[in-house]
Amino acid sequence: MGENKDLFVLTYGALVAQLCKDYEKDEDVNKYLDKMGYGIGTRLVEDFLARSCVRRCHSYSEIIDIIAQVAFKMYLGITPSVVCHNSSRNEFSLILDKNPLAEFVEELPAGRSALCYCNLLCGVIRGALEMVHLATDVTFLQDRLKGDRVTEIGITFLKKLDEKKYKRKK
Amino acid sequence: MAVCIAVIAKENYPLYIRSTPTENELKFHYMVHTSLDVVDEKISAMGKALVDQRELYLGLLYPTEDYKVYGYVTNSKVKFVMVVDSSNTALRDNEIRSMFRKLHNSYTDVMCNPFYNPGDRIQSRAFDNMVTSMMIQVC
Repeated sequence: MGENKDLFVLTYGALVAQLCKDYEKDEDVNKYLDKMGYGIGTRLVEDFLARSCVRRCHSYSEIIDIIAQVAFKMYLGITPSVVCHNSSRNEFSLILDKNPLAEFVEELPAGRSALCYCNLLCGVIRGALEMVHLATDVTFLQDRLKGDRVTEIGITFLKKLDEKKYKRKK
Repeated sequence: MAVCIAVIAKENYPLYIRSTPTENELKFHYMVHTSLDVVDEKISAMGKALVDQRELYLGLLYPTEDYKVYGYVTNSKVKFVMVVDSSNTALRDNEIRSMFRKLHNSYTDVMCNPFYNPGDRIQSRAFDNMVTSMMIQVC
C-alpha cells in the first residue's frame, strides 16, 4: 500500500467513533463492526482471488499463510506472523505488532474498555472464508489498545460448510 | 529549553498548557494570555501575505527580563506559544522553529485520533511525552 492511507485510516476511525455515539454498549459496537466486516469480506474475497492468483490450498495452515502474507500485505501493507495453536491444526493466530487501522488511536476512550476497535477485520476474514466454504470463528485474542503487548487475531476453522470439493481459497 | 508550552484554540482558550513545575504556574498562564494580544496583532499585520512555513512562525513575541516568548500559528488559527528562559542564549531561531514544527506534527496526530473532539483539552500521552522532551532538552 504505497499510497497515503491516512484518508482510509481516518474514515475507519470516524466509523468507529460514530458507532460509539450510536450505541452505548461495547458489545453492540463490536457486533456491528463485525457485521459490516462480514459484508466487506464476502465481496473483497472476489477482488482478492482475481488479483492474487493464489494456488489451490491443501491445508488450513496454507490458507492462513496466504491470509497473512498476501491478503494483509495487499490491503493493509503489513504482514502479521502466524502461530498455530493445536495439533489438529485448525486453530491459528495472526500476530500484528503494528496495526495501521489504529495508528492514531492511543488508547480506548473512557468507558469503552471492551471495545474491539478493529473488529471489522474479524468480520472481513470470516466473510471472505465463508465465501470459499470455510466456516470460521474469528476474534481478537489480544489488543494493543487494551494494554496487551501485541494485537492477536484468533482464527478457528469449524466444520467445513461444503464438503464436496475444494475451491480456490483465500 | 522551554519552560512553558501552550496550545491555544482559535477562540483563544487553552487546549493544553504545561510549565516546569518548579515555577509559579500562574505566572506562565498570565504570560501566555498576554502574549495572545501580540499574536493577534501579528496575524492581522500579515494580512494577504502568502502563508507558508515562514509565515506560520511568528518569532519572538515579546521579551521580558527573565523570559522570551515565541509564537506560531497554524492555518486553522490554532496558536502555539512557547516561553523560554532568557538566560538560555544557546537557543537559536531555527531551533525554536524546529520545536514548533514538532509541536505542530504532534498536534496533527492528536487531531487524527477519532475519539478526540476538536475543541477538547488535549489529553494524549504521546503529546505529553513530546512536550516533556522539549522541556528537558532542546530538540
